[in-house]
Amino acid sequence: MNTLRSRRFIIMGLLPAMLIYALFVFVPVIWSAYYGFFNWSGIGASSFIGLDNYVEIVHDPIFWRALKNNFIFVGAAVLGQVPLALILAILLSKNNFLQRFLRSAIFLPMVLSTVVIGMIWQYIYHPQIGILNFFLDTLGLESWKLQWLSDGKIAIFALIPPLIWSFVGLYLIIFMSALQNIPGEIHDAAQLDGATGLRKLASISLPMIWGTVQVALVLCISGSLKSFDLVYIMTKGGPAHATELLATYMYNSTFTSYRYGFGSAISTTIVLISLILIGSSQWITSRKPKQ
Amino acid sequence: MKKFTKAALAAAVSVFMLVGCSNQEAANNEGSTGEKVTLTVWHNWTGQDAKSVTMRKLLADFQTAHPEVTLEDEGLPTDGLKTRLRTVAAADEMPDLFVMWPDAMTKEFQKGDLLQPINEFLDSKPEWRDNFIPNALDGYTIDDNIYSVPMNLAPTSFIFYNKLLFDQYKVAIPKTWDELMTAIDTFNKNDIIPIALGNKTNWVAQSTIFSTLADRVTGSDWFLKAVNQDGAKFTDPEFVKALTVLQDLGKAKAFQDGFNGIDETQMMQLYFQGKSAMVIDGGWALANLVSNAPKEVLDNTHITIIPSITGGKGDAGSTAGVVGTGLGISKKLTGAKKDAAMELLYALSGPDGQQATLDSSTLISYNLELDPSKANPLFVELHELMKNVKISPVYDAKLSSAAVEVTNNGLQELLMGGKPEDIAKKIQDAQAKALGK
Amino acid sequence: MNIMRTKKGLFWTLLTGYGIFTLYPFFWLVISAFKTNEDFYSHPFGLPEIWHFDNFSRAWESSKLGTAFMNSMIVSVGSLMITLFIAALASFVLARFQFRLKGWIMTFFVVGMLIPIHSTLVPLFILMKQMSMLNTYWALIFPYTAFALPTAIFVLTAYLSTIPKEIEEAAFIDGTGLWGLFRRIILPISTPALSTVTILSFLHSWNDFSFALVLINKTKLKTLPLGIANFADGYQTDYGLTLAAMTISVIPTILIYLIFQDQVMKGMTAGAVKG
Repeated sequence: MNTLRSRRFIIMGLLPAMLIYALFVFVPVIWSAYYGFFNWSGIGASSFIGLDNYVEIVHDPIFWRALKNNFIFVGAAVLGQVPLALILAILLSKNNFLQRFLRSAIFLPMVLSTVVIGMIWQYIYHPQIGILNFFLDTLGLESWKLQWLSDGKIAIFALIPPLIWSFVGLYLIIFMSALQNIPGEIHDAAQLDGATGLRKLASISLPMIWGTVQVALVLCISGSLKSFDLVYIMTKGGPAHATELLATYMYNSTFTSYRYGFGSAISTTIVLISLILIGSSQWITSRKPKQ
Repeated sequence: MKKFTKAALAAAVSVFMLVGCSNQEAANNEGSTGEKVTLTVWHNWTGQDAKSVTMRKLLADFQTAHPEVTLEDEGLPTDGLKTRLRTVAAADEMPDLFVMWPDAMTKEFQKGDLLQPINEFLDSKPEWRDNFIPNALDGYTIDDNIYSVPMNLAPTSFIFYNKLLFDQYKVAIPKTWDELMTAIDTFNKNDIIPIALGNKTNWVAQSTIFSTLADRVTGSDWFLKAVNQDGAKFTDPEFVKALTVLQDLGKAKAFQDGFNGIDETQMMQLYFQGKSAMVIDGGWALANLVSNAPKEVLDNTHITIIPSITGGKGDAGSTAGVVGTGLGISKKLTGAKKDAAMELLYALSGPDGQQATLDSSTLISYNLELDPSKANPLFVELHELMKNVKISPVYDAKLSSAAVEVTNNGLQELLMGGKPEDIAKKIQDAQAKALGK
Repeated sequence: MNIMRTKKGLFWTLLTGYGIFTLYPFFWLVISAFKTNEDFYSHPFGLPEIWHFDNFSRAWESSKLGTAFMNSMIVSVGSLMITLFIAALASFVLARFQFRLKGWIMTFFVVGMLIPIHSTLVPLFILMKQMSMLNTYWALIFPYTAFALPTAIFVLTAYLSTIPKEIEEAAFIDGTGLWGLFRRIILPISTPALSTVTILSFLHSWNDFSFALVLINKTKLKTLPLGIANFADGYQTDYGLTLAAMTISVIPTILIYLIFQDQVMKGMTAGAVKG
């Protein structure tokens, strides 16, 4: 192959994506990181304070609470969403009516606005007129009734089902497209074995789409670390910071407490933590033997 | 930050050339060569409620009366407007006029040198200036410069109660704290929620309940001293007592279970469904009640203030409140554009604007008579009540933004069983830090 | 055998139950869109007492949703087109060529997925102002594209890496150049992954509120999420109108999903790539 031509092709191929991305994502990210070294309310004069914002973050108990909550989310997403989506993708691979219906139904929460999803789940968890407590009542399980969103100890866990439920469709569709690449013969052969073949199918399919699983993990970790919308709508990070996340903590500092510099430092911290987590997840998953 | 901006600009321009966009927008900013001027106005009057409709009509009327001015008005939901204003303020790109909140926001914008004082214009119309209620302009005044005037009045704490339920269980409308406790007890025994509360958006308890309750205990003077950290601290026994009173209210089961998990809408919903006997909310709840409550609830709803507290230092006849939003005017305006902006300010917040606002069942910070035949009976009742009620400060209007965050979260914690002393200390620390003391 | 069949039946019944449960919010959205506020407050779960079909027409007219709908279409489709083309090109390079800085470029793209977008609002606003792009469609098209790129590139690169090399070699023997290879072989072969990217990117820009709030301040350029938010004025939300507007806005995303989900599945029914 003509190396000169292919080098030119590499540059021409990467250039548009890199330029647009660098200008509209990377520049603002660096810019915001730069504000993190200032004591700035977002308006008027600012003063350079070096790493003081970061020192304050490390000493702020709310930051550690938020970080812990974020780790709970990452754990739930990595162990809940990804495997669930993978299993569903393998099970729902046929194009008959039922499976098409199920695929669409599972994807549907992705399409709906977070506001609607938040509203629905608030009514599910509502302490007086909520559906969940009503069911527990009818089943005679009164003692299981809880103050789902207002008890500081359980609120963060009560947020996990809506979170998994609304994003599982995202990973489902990513896995569906990856599975299309598996040659039909392998598929047909595995299919013949029927229900017990499920495990076999997984052991054949999984290595073949391992790259996509890694991508899903990256998406999943980054998504959980910056998750904001649903929690902001459902609990606002409360009660008393019980469901505070790094992103809600950042948003409140920036837009509610008028501390723009501090907020920027938090968001830079989020990026750094995510990079470490993703780096280690890549390191772990890339050591798995590929077949 | 200049150097960085330049580097980014250089990068930006080079790509900009590549994609080739048009550059007509920039030329738009000049003006005032002829008589024609364009004014941009950002507001939060987007709804279909009476007040929003009235304000939009005032804008439209101004446009008709002033053909030489082109109004470019844009409505945004309240939270969106606040976020947008913060962003453009960071870039020094304020619109010509915008809805602005008193106290904290006005101070921030003034500190950033973004606002234009209106003293001169205000002084040219003394009959207008002097007709505002006492202290109405304080939240917009910094060092004798006045930056806006309020277009409405927002008392933040009233008890809206369902008379039918009070009569049914033979409960007296509480005038003292003991009577309130008796009422709570009776309603709880009969499976009625005494007071519906939705404190998920955590300013609700602070603004609608605690600000008045604490004022009853500590008195306004103590509070204002503590705000300035001048001779009083939030760790003082009075404040701890105020926190304890609120906590005891929670312990007496005054509020329904799970109140920290539901929002204001769901709180009103409990009241509308007749599940609760009372709800404590600001004057703004009235419009919601009038248009959305079922008829039997609305007809039996009356309004009172939070009862007196024995041994309290505060005025038992006051309720917490803030003057409403005003129009901020950008520092950059000059000449004909500035004159037009002042005219618009007068059209919306001058005597005629205030009258129109009052007629849309909204309380105002301006002395005007209400025509009872035009308004909903409940609004007439509220307006009458306000004649005998003094306004005391609201916590979130006076404290620094950082201390407000701490207070709001602290009250949630308090109602979940946190220790009043610890919470008082956190609030004290946050306020002291914000003032640099 | 019988036990297994019952087990299988039970399993699919449960899964169908889950599917129906998942559909409920959509159902709730649609029926609530026909209610008055009073009805919404008193019976949040019930069917409307009276079906207010006029909620839809009132929502459409009172907030100029028609214009907002068109604006949303323009920016969403615009950024989608750019995203698809440049992401496919970059992914082709990243998946198929060996060069020194590859690992770094992938890392570079990861960073963008990690940042909470709210912290970029102020820098982006200043940037757009200096480029005189504020209040143009480009102010939204470029950020939407830029923020959709990392996911798109990741999904596409992972997909392309699994395609057997023989396909390209065959094309080279035919004398096809790199551009030809990209257009005639790579693009068609990536249909499932491109469809996934289409669905995700479209959803992302169609539902965005934050960028649209800050970067656009001309009423005639407003997008749908802003138009919908106008029904809520802080203290008083008109639920009938809000939910009617949301129902209208969800239709295009459902259509996009239904159309492209078939494309996602195309590879399989066509017997996929012969290995």
